[in-house]
This record gives sequence, C-alpha cells and structure tokens, in this order.
Amino acid sequence: MKNYDKYVLIFPLLLWLFLFLVLPYLFILTQSVLATDDFGKVVYDLNFDSYIKIFTNPLYYETLIRTFIYAIIVALACILLSLPLAYFIAFKVTKNKSFYYTLIVLPFWMSYIVRAYAWKVILGENGIFNSSLINMGIIDKPLRFVLYSDFSVILCLIYIFLPFVCIPIYTSFEQISKSLVEASKDLGANSWVTFRKVIFPLILPGVISGGTLALVLTLGDFLAASLLGGPNTLFISSIVQNLFGTSNDKPLGSAVGVVLLILVFIVLELSSRYEKKHETQ
Amino acid sequence: MKKIALSLLVIISLFSSCGKKAEETKTGTVDLEALKGSTLNILAWEGYADASFTKEFEDKYGVTIKGTYFGSSDELVSKLQSGGGASYDVITPSSDVAGYIVSSDLAEPLDLEQLTAWKSLSPVLSGMKDVQKDGKTYGMPFTWGPDYLVYNADIIKETPTSWNLFFDPKYKGKIAMYDDISSIYLAAQLLGYDKKDQSVLYNLSEEQLLACKAKLVELKPQVRKNWASAGELDNLFKNKEVVAAVGWPLTPANLNKQGMNIKAVIPTEGATGWIDRLMIVKGAKNKQLAQLWLDYVSQPKVMAQVAEFTQYYVSNPEANALLSPETQKLMDVASMDKMFKTLNFWQPVKNRKRYNEIWSEVKNQ
Repeated sequence: MKNYDKYVLIFPLLLWLFLFLVLPYLFILTQSVLATDDFGKVVYDLNFDSYIKIFTNPLYYETLIRTFIYAIIVALACILLSLPLAYFIAFKVTKNKSFYYTLIVLPFWMSYIVRAYAWKVILGENGIFNSSLINMGIIDKPLRFVLYSDFSVILCLIYIFLPFVCIPIYTSFEQISKSLVEASKDLGANSWVTFRKVIFPLILPGVISGGTLALVLTLGDFLAASLLGGPNTLFISSIVQNLFGTSNDKPLGSAVGVVLLILVFIVLELSSRYEKKHETQ
Repeated sequence: MKKIALSLLVIISLFSSCGKKAEETKTGTVDLEALKGSTLNILAWEGYADASFTKEFEDKYGVTIKGTYFGSSDELVSKLQSGGGASYDVITPSSDVAGYIVSSDLAEPLDLEQLTAWKSLSPVLSGMKDVQKDGKTYGMPFTWGPDYLVYNADIIKETPTSWNLFFDPKYKGKIAMYDDISSIYLAAQLLGYDKKDQSVLYNLSEEQLLACKAKLVELKPQVRKNWASAGELDNLFKNKEVVAAVGWPLTPANLNKQGMNIKAVIPTEGATGWIDRLMIVKGAKNKQLAQLWLDYVSQPKVMAQVAEFTQYYVSNPEANALLSPETQKLMDVASMDKMFKTLNFWQPVKNRKRYNEIWSEVKNQ
C-alpha cells in the first residue's frame, strides 16, 4: 500500500512531464529525421539530411560554436561580477541583509523585454550612455558599436542572468561558518590565501551551478539577439526560431534543437559531476 | 522499446489528424444579433487593423476587432500551418504566398454575392488567377504598394536615384534592411538580373543566389540593423540610428505625422512591390463576421480611410476621389497606374527554403 501512495503523489507530475516534456521531445526527435516540401509542410520521408546539414554548412556549426563561446563569456562575466557582490552581502553587511538580497532579485519584477528595451534607450545614438560621454567631453561622436552589435547582446545577457548566478553563490557564502575563516587567519593566512584555499573551494558548487545556469540560458536565448543584435548577430536560438517561424523548415529546426539539447545535457552532466565531487571533499 | 514505438505512433497520428476537420459552409441571411459581442481576429501586416477604420465597424455590429501583426510572409504561413483557423479569422497575405495558401487549402472561398462592392474593385486586381481555384475566389484585393527606398530628407538633401546610395561611405552604419528574403530580390535587382524577365528574382539559380549573397555581405558594414517590423524601422529613423532604408509607405506616413521629414522614392534600378489580399482562414470561428468585414472594407469610404492611414494604394479606385487633397498629392494618385506597371510584384518563390538559408548565411559571414 505504501508504494501505491507514493505513486499517487507523483502521478500528476509524471503525467505533466510526460505530456509536456517527454512527448514534445519525442515529437522533435521524430520531426528531425523527416523532410519538407518547398513551403515547409512536413512530409514523411525518413532521412538524416538535417543532421548532415548542421555539420557541413558553416552557417549552422559556426553559429553553434560562436553561441557556445558567447555563453561561456556570459557565464564567466556573471561569476566574476557575482563573487565580490555575494561576498560583500554575506560577510560585510551586518544590518538589513535581506534588503541587499532583495536588490539582487529586484530586476525579476520587471519583464525581460522591458529590460532589454531599456538597453536600447541607454546605448542608442542619442542614448544616456553616449550623450553623457559627449557632455563630459570624453568622446565627440557617439560610440556606435555599443548598440546593435554582439557587444550589446552580451551586455544585456550578462545583466539579465546575473541574479541567477549571484543567488547560488550568495547562498554558498552564507553556509560558510565564520569560524573557518577565523581559523585560517589565526594560522597566518592573509585574506587572499584564505579566499583561495578556504572560501573558494567551499563556494565552488554554487559557482558551478550558477555559471551553468547562465551558460544554458544563454544558449537558449534569442530575444536579446533579435532586439539588440546587429546585422552580424546570429545566435543558434535565433536560427531555431527562424527555422520554425520564418523558413518553415521544421525538420532542420528540430535537428538543431536536438543537437543543442544534447550539448546542454553534456554541460549539465559534467557540471553536476564536478559539483558532486567537490561536495564530498 | 515497445513503449517508444507506441508513443511515436501516437505522435504521428496526432500529427496527421490535424487539418482534417471540414467546416460546412452556410449561406443565407445573417443573424446579426448572434454576432454581437464576438471578436474578429485579424492576422495582418502592420497598419491593417487600425482604429481609424475598424472603430465604425465595431460600433455598427457590437463586435471587437483584434489585430495581430506578422512581420514577414513566412511568419504568416508558419502561423497558419500550425493551426491558424483556431486563432484567426482574417489574414492579409501578400502576392508571394497568397497562391500557396489557396492551393494548400488554408483559406475559405469567398461569397462574392455578399461583397457588395466587388464589382467596383479594380478588375486587374480582382481578376488575378493566383487566388482562384475550381471557379471559386479565395482572396479580395486590398492594397498594393512598393518596397521604397525610404530616406531622411533632412540629411539626404538630394533625391536618391539609385539603390547604390546604400553603399555610399557617407552613410556607413546608417542603413536599415528588411529582415526578410526580399533583401535578396533587392540584391538581384542591383545585379540587374531582372532586366529581361521580372520573374527571375523569384527563381534565382544557386549561382545567382551566391552572387546576391556576396552583394549583401558587401553591404553589411553599411547596415545598422535589419528591421523585423515596420514599427522597429520607425524607431530606427526616429532615434537617428539610420538615414536610409528599404521600407513601405507606412513608415513615411507614420513619421511625417510626428514632424519628421521622411521621403520615399523608387530608384532607377526599379523596386519590388506587393499586392495584399484579404482572406478568410480555413475553419475560421467567425466566418460570417469575417465576410461582413470584407464587405465593409471593400466600400470606397473605408478603403479611403485605409489609404489615409497607410498611404498604400487601395483596390477600390472609387476611394481615390475621397482622399484628402494632401494624401492625393503625397501618394501621387494620378500616376498610380504608371506606378503599378513599374513595380516588380512579389511572386511565389519555389526555393524559399534556400532563399531563407542564404539570408541567414549573409548574417553569419
């Protein structure tokens, strides 16, 4: 009977996962080996052309590699920005900690699109950034590379995903007992050595999970690229969106999706293995 | 293994059962009372569901019109194929995909008896064969217009005569292209492929496509942004990000209302154009209301309101006399027949997938 109860508890979730996760994935997988007519109607003709295309046409594999590199940049930047911030809140703030914590989460109260649009206002030709630099006499012509370029997309992604990285890092900082830090100092280690040898290994799981989150989210993002990207900007998710929403090449879109999914699985698996290894130490 | 095979079967059967539902067509008197309170969903190009011409219809029948905009022909087709009838009643496809929508059974035939102004529509437009099938007509001509070279006349003082203006080093990073395969048509026009035969633009060979790609890649340093919607292009002009672009008459119409000095011109290489139809989606929930909307729009007065707002040429010639003198002058209505003959209207592209891929490859270069 006990076992039966257990299944009743998880049944709704299992059903949900089956209907909205397993089935769609199977659907995508099936679709990725089919073909289309000229206007994108899927026809049942089993082939692997889509996969061959992804690995032979530079449009697809180059974009995949580039997006991956950008995702790593975003993840690293988020980690580097989060470390001092989370450290500050965890160790230097004594009063009103929750206030600072709320400040990190605050951007979530606003829609992603609004925040991405805000960057347009800030970075534009007549935007706040350029006009203040001109007013201060630092530049005499607006800097144009800051908007509608890969730079603006990466900047926006770092800004959007920063809280996702900051929160797990902050949580791991919070779990470190102060006595460990004091012991390290008593033994003669300076702040840097203490951070490197005592604190960092302890927060590493948080860093990895936060970084992975930013990496995976960047791999799947197309909004920032379409709003803030320039004529050269092309992210793999924009290609997927394009293949489904514009070119109507659903099989190829599905195949790119499958490849992306496998990549993300590998990243997640590696990161969780690494995390486990460090948790047990 | 069995389970996987079974679920695959389920998926496939789900897949193939879509679109089989046939809807009975009913003609006769319309029960206006029953229509009250319903919502007509229009999936249209930007500007085709503006309050300036929908309001009166809404009040008259006690209904609501909800406009959803699409940014490219491909987006429209893609939305229709993934079950459009459930969400939309009326669509406004352009001449490049209208025929496909009819032949792949995504539209309902029109009841011409119920379109009181049908006879007064321009016969050239209403007689077009691409939206006719088995003696039935599936599309009502609505508007047409060019893909102009739109420019900021405060900055570019001399009227441009060539698309090569886009390559002028003076305007580096100040150009906007349309994020659509029609940019390939433009490149092909620049390369002179359509000199002998207009339809070449829509049937380019792989070799020609690669030449177009090279031309577009060459243009890239000049381009600030590929716009995906007319609203985005308006903002690019307004924020002084660009000074010249490929665009529709809607852009100068909107921006000049806000005090800007935006002009549009057809360069010597020619320009492409589009003919938009109003169609009823297959299996539309509000078919009757959709038919009423088409009838309403076909009237000269409403067509004139559409032209006032969009500055697109409309299919009912009687509307031209009702336009304000300023609009008549702006649109140069007197020479619209000449304009119609100049434009290379969008046609179905057989190799659309490859065109789309080339356009993505341009971005990747």
